[in-house]
Amino acid sequence: MISSFLLAWRQLTHHKMKLAVASAGVVVAVMLMLVQLGIRQGALDNSVAFTRRVTGQLVVVSPRTKTIFQAASFPRRLLYRLPSHPQVSRVQEIYLSQARWRNPWTYREHPISVYGIEPDRPLLNLPGYSERAAELRLRDHVIFDRMSRTSFGPVVETVERDGSMETEVNHRRMTVVGLIEVGISITTDGNLYMTPENFLRLFPGRTLGAVDLGVVELKPGADPQAMRAELQQLLGAEAVVITQPELVLAEQTFMRENAPIDFIFGMGAAVGFFIGFVVVYQILYTEVTNHLPQFATMKAVGFTDGFLLRVVLSQALILSILGYVPGFFLALWLYGVATKAIQMPFSMTLGRAVMVGSFTLLMCGLSAAIAVRKAQSANPADVF
Amino acid sequence: MELETLKYPDVSCAASGEPPSVIRARRINFSFGSGELQKQILFDISFDVLKGEIVLLTGPSGSGKTTLLTLIGALRQVNEGELTVLSRPLHRATKHDLIATRRDLGFIFQQHNLLEFLTARQNVELMFELHPDVTAAEARERSVRMLRDVGLGDRLDYLPARLSGGQKQRVAVARALVTAPHLILADEPTSALDSQSGRDVVNLLQQLARTRGCPVLMVTHDTRVLDIADRIIHMEDGRIASAVAT
Repeated sequence: MISSFLLAWRQLTHHKMKLAVASAGVVVAVMLMLVQLGIRQGALDNSVAFTRRVTGQLVVVSPRTKTIFQAASFPRRLLYRLPSHPQVSRVQEIYLSQARWRNPWTYREHPISVYGIEPDRPLLNLPGYSERAAELRLRDHVIFDRMSRTSFGPVVETVERDGSMETEVNHRRMTVVGLIEVGISITTDGNLYMTPENFLRLFPGRTLGAVDLGVVELKPGADPQAMRAELQQLLGAEAVVITQPELVLAEQTFMRENAPIDFIFGMGAAVGFFIGFVVVYQILYTEVTNHLPQFATMKAVGFTDGFLLRVVLSQALILSILGYVPGFFLALWLYGVATKAIQMPFSMTLGRAVMVGSFTLLMCGLSAAIAVRKAQSANPADVF
Repeated sequence: MELETLKYPDVSCAASGEPPSVIRARRINFSFGSGELQKQILFDISFDVLKGEIVLLTGPSGSGKTTLLTLIGALRQVNEGELTVLSRPLHRATKHDLIATRRDLGFIFQQHNLLEFLTARQNVELMFELHPDVTAAEARERSVRMLRDVGLGDRLDYLPARLSGGQKQRVAVARALVTAPHLILADEPTSALDSQSGRDVVNLLQQLARTRGCPVLMVTHDTRVLDIADRIIHMEDGRIASAVAT
């Protein structure tokens, strides 16, 4: 028996060149959609690499802070009101600023983010940081984020080989004694971690009394949302309490509002969809037109419009699959290329793969639905 | 007014007794277009075709014979007059009835219109998509047998590109006959064939008419095949000019 699917398969594979072109169109569309959406997601994920690592359930920021990378500070004494609440376990202050790092190999200066974090049990997920507490307490000793861009020089290789390296940050001699892995983003090229005391030495204009970010750890069983309201009352109007998830969301929102990544990458994905749609439609339409006499003949002997629809839809399905698989692997490869080039991690997620798969089916199905109308317009009486 | 599809009684082609009309046409008029551009093609056509008859339809081009064939073949809607084919009243048919009628007919067109990406056997087997009660194995076996009957037993798995014009037409004939239709309509089936192939085809049609009682209505100019006809209906300018029994 020749089913509509088999018919579709034989028709498509009869002209290998046409099939290759049509599949290539789908491959390009799939690759574009996956890469554009992947880079967009990567940009968003990377912008919250740090905030995701906050392990306290609540954070305190100044009401004027829009992003922690340009944080306004608030008084430390406010933060120290919080342990008086029975549900609060402890608090920790975090200092954040930007400095200029001098690449000792090229003598050029680059902006770098600087964090002042107490290494004794920090309320942050920074594996490897507290282990170096003894060295970090030494004057001007710091830890470097190994995910920082290579524009800072071969810091990672040097520290791994020699155990430490020296350079100037804001014209101050600093010693890098170790590396941890955190992550950079579009707005941050690199990270340095040090004790609050060293932070103050680096930024003499700052005082320990002005905190950029306060992290609050609650006792087990405490409800963050309820605590948020209660603790806010202790702080008044000069500081704001939010939950850690809200902090992450706020950073993502700031990125999306200030860098038009949704528009740019969304457009890119839409263009991919459009390209795929046009190519598939062209091929399906010409296939139908070229076989109009045959389709008319089939209708004349009793095949229904529904059968022809199944044939063209089957062709759309075949093209979707033939194009998705190579497009997927191409996108994976491109993620690797982008990760190396931009020095930020970009990766595939199952959700995105499935979503783009659905878009691909939709794209091919739409083309088929429009192309098949031509097939159904075939008038069996015209066969004569 | 809603009419359900009339299931025609089991008019097995080998029945005996008073032969009912397979085609019954009464006062058929047909026009193309509408309004100012309306052109009438058929005028007051009435005739019958009985079981087992071979009827030829002749006439100059523009005489309307092809249009008449499309009406009988349920490819166009009958507007004026009565046309009953295989006991189905086509003048009152729904789209569903038209499709059902087409499946009971065997069509041989002037252009073979084979699907170029299917082999000869697959082109013939395709017809069984319309008859799901036939098993896959049976469909295959009948297709092979039919192709052998038209002399293409050694070309079963050839694509149309590797077949001559005459061979392609013979595949089309096999395709038309393989589902054992109850009426065969043919439009110039031998025009693309040489005398031997043409003769083979009409012999096959004649055999079907005689042994199974399947009537054949054939539009043709080919004078070589006039001998197989029981009757020749000659048309001119949309009317039946003469109907001669041979």
